[in-house]
Amino acid sequence: MKKTLNWTSTLIKEKSLRVNRLFPVACLLPPASIRLLLAACLLSLVSVASQAQTDDARYTTLLARLNSLKAEATQVEDLNAITRLGRAFAYYLDKGYFGEAANLFADEGRVVYGVDGVYTGRDRIKELFTRHGGGSMNAGPGLPFGRLNMHMHLQPLVTISADGRSAQARWREWGQLGNYKDKAEWSDAILENDYIKEDGVWKVREMRYYINFVAPYIGGWASLEPAGRDWRSPISKDFKPDQRSPLNYKRFPEITVPPFHYADNKSSIMTPPPVTAMPKRPDDALGKLEARADQEALKLARVHAVRAVENLQAMFGYYFDKGLWSDAADLFTDDGTWEFGQYGVYQGKASIARGMTVIGPEGLEPGQLNNFPMLQPVIHVSEDNSKAWGRFRSDVMRSVDGPDGMKGQWGGGLYENEYINDNGTWKISKQHYWVTYWGDYDKGWVRDGIIPVDQASTEVPPDAPPTVVYESLPHTYVVPFHYNHPVTGEPHDDMGRLARDKAAGKNVR
Amino acid sequence: MKKSLNQMITSMKNISLKVNGLFPASCLLPPASLVLMLATPVQAQTSAELAALESELDAISTRIERLQDMEEIEILQRSYGYYVDKSLWYSLTDLWTDDGTLEIGGRGVFTGKERVFEYMNVGLSPVGPTQGLLMDHQQFQNLATIHEDGLTAEIRGIAFVMSSGGWGHCYYENDFVKEDGVWKMKTLHGPFNMYSGYAKGWVDDIIINTWPAKFPPPPDLPPTVIYLAYPSYYVEPFHYPNPVTGEPMPASDPKAGGEAFGR
Repeated sequence: MKKTLNWTSTLIKEKSLRVNRLFPVACLLPPASIRLLLAACLLSLVSVASQAQTDDARYTTLLARLNSLKAEATQVEDLNAITRLGRAFAYYLDKGYFGEAANLFADEGRVVYGVDGVYTGRDRIKELFTRHGGGSMNAGPGLPFGRLNMHMHLQPLVTISADGRSAQARWREWGQLGNYKDKAEWSDAILENDYIKEDGVWKVREMRYYINFVAPYIGGWASLEPAGRDWRSPISKDFKPDQRSPLNYKRFPEITVPPFHYADNKSSIMTPPPVTAMPKRPDDALGKLEARADQEALKLARVHAVRAVENLQAMFGYYFDKGLWSDAADLFTDDGTWEFGQYGVYQGKASIARGMTVIGPEGLEPGQLNNFPMLQPVIHVSEDNSKAWGRFRSDVMRSVDGPDGMKGQWGGGLYENEYINDNGTWKISKQHYWVTYWGDYDKGWVRDGIIPVDQASTEVPPDAPPTVVYESLPHTYVVPFHYNHPVTGEPHDDMGRLARDKAAGKNVR
Repeated sequence: MKKSLNQMITSMKNISLKVNGLFPASCLLPPASLVLMLATPVQAQTSAELAALESELDAISTRIERLQDMEEIEILQRSYGYYVDKSLWYSLTDLWTDDGTLEIGGRGVFTGKERVFEYMNVGLSPVGPTQGLLMDHQQFQNLATIHEDGLTAEIRGIAFVMSSGGWGHCYYENDFVKEDGVWKMKTLHGPFNMYSGYAKGWVDDIIINTWPAKFPPPPDLPPTVIYLAYPSYYVEPFHYPNPVTGEPMPASDPKAGGEAFGR
């Protein structure tokens, strides 16, 4: 059973217990006049019956409600526990704590290491990461002099199973690797992980590591030749896996799309629907508790919505990465808008998918990299859980077609997005990517390495011009914040405060 | 109590409008349920039962508050990054408690809001974005812990720096406190992992750390820890135990960071 159904059915159960005396009115939807008549008749019945809407029934309803609230709280806690596990894992790899990393796995835990093969059990997993990370099986935690092994695990997209006992998550790994005076490398991978909850503790059951590339710093990913027929790592030849890899793919520059665990289950972007009005509760002891449950339910739904919106933006990013424009556009509302740099505004799913082809064909072309990680979320949800705002960041690794073939580029920018809770499913109603800079890979984002922001396409013209006209680096600007300062609650007004302090003769610049 | 017909119609209309759009499936319940409800005998709940419900609600409420707390301190940490990007030093300073501290790299400890402001404004840049300058301090991988008291919290995080000067990778182990219901930064502690120039990356163009006299202003207190970043080895202690075993962090090998490691 899917979580999707769970949410809706739980809510329906609660609501129906409370409101089923209204069902003929709600269901038949006859012409207004008749509906009013029916309502009047029914209400007379209800007023007689109101005493019989017994405390017992209300009590039972409230108990059921509290149970469903606990289940929802557990779901959000589980989601946080899974992200904690993933982040803890990455911090262990960074510093050569490979045994601690392996301890995050269940007894029969497995790592499917790209096309290399499958390593099963904590001992084997410890050795696998020790060998790849440059540690030593003869030493305690740590790394030798001159070894850099940074693995940033980013953009979690977590789906908890309906029974709450297993979970899956997609992660993006961005690696910064090196040997002092010898080499510096970037790496890029997608992880699809399975988790299991044993005695209340979440553990990794299987980690599927889709290594997309390990590229030399000089030249970067655009310099990579296609992988050979057998592109298993040298380490896998010394340290033989327990099983052949079930994964069969070629790394970059070929375009590989690791299967999405959420292809048929989008429960990760679902929460209770908006609350249009708080129910009126009787003025008695039970009514006070009912009203409090209403408040807590809304509070919880809004906390949950923050995670759903993070998942939604991550989902968008994972599609956008691979040029899956239709899947990405499907995450918008029907009249949603997509604005990217100075391309202008595309509105509606069809138009958005068409607009994205300015970046490349559906599915990208070989050698094209379009990594837009979705990072640093700051999300706020409206009081009624109907709407959300999100600030995100992407640091972009891409390669674009040039006269001499594919050229690597770095980029950076911020999003200020808006989201709608469409009856329990979160959708993007407005996405706006503000370009901070584009930089040539070889030269960096300084001097003549700076690439100005692209202008609107004439071939696939937008539905509307950019909402704000600006230039990217070397020009700088502050993307307006959708939120007030988290401590003072005041709007962000640094430039105004600077001017006032200067006028007051303070020693500031 | 009797209502006028008009009042009744109006209130019904409102309720049905509110309900029918959202819960169409409630229609599936057979009319029999209505009869059953009417037939259920009246029986008041005991005060013990009500008290039990109330304490259940209290427990749920606390859990929700902890979830909120986590989201709130994540926002503080991530906002810090957005403020550094554009030198929004007033907004940045406002994240701190009055007696909060800041310690980045090897520069020592700066105490109180005014000194945090000075560290940034005197040491780094004028308020507001500077033309031509990139200073992105991307906040990644926040691992947040809210303590039992609900009043203190910690985050391990990363600043991944892409700046006009090149690359930087810095950890955080930061402390937060809740004052009058508002979370604030109490201690920002940011040890460096790797700083390098752009041209050849971290193959050799390395900044191993900063120190108190590296640039003004001088600190209020000396560094709490002396260490060297890449290509040497330093691991900032994890504030949390292993999430699966519950065991505290083991010490690193004494030879870590040396050529003799593993020998």
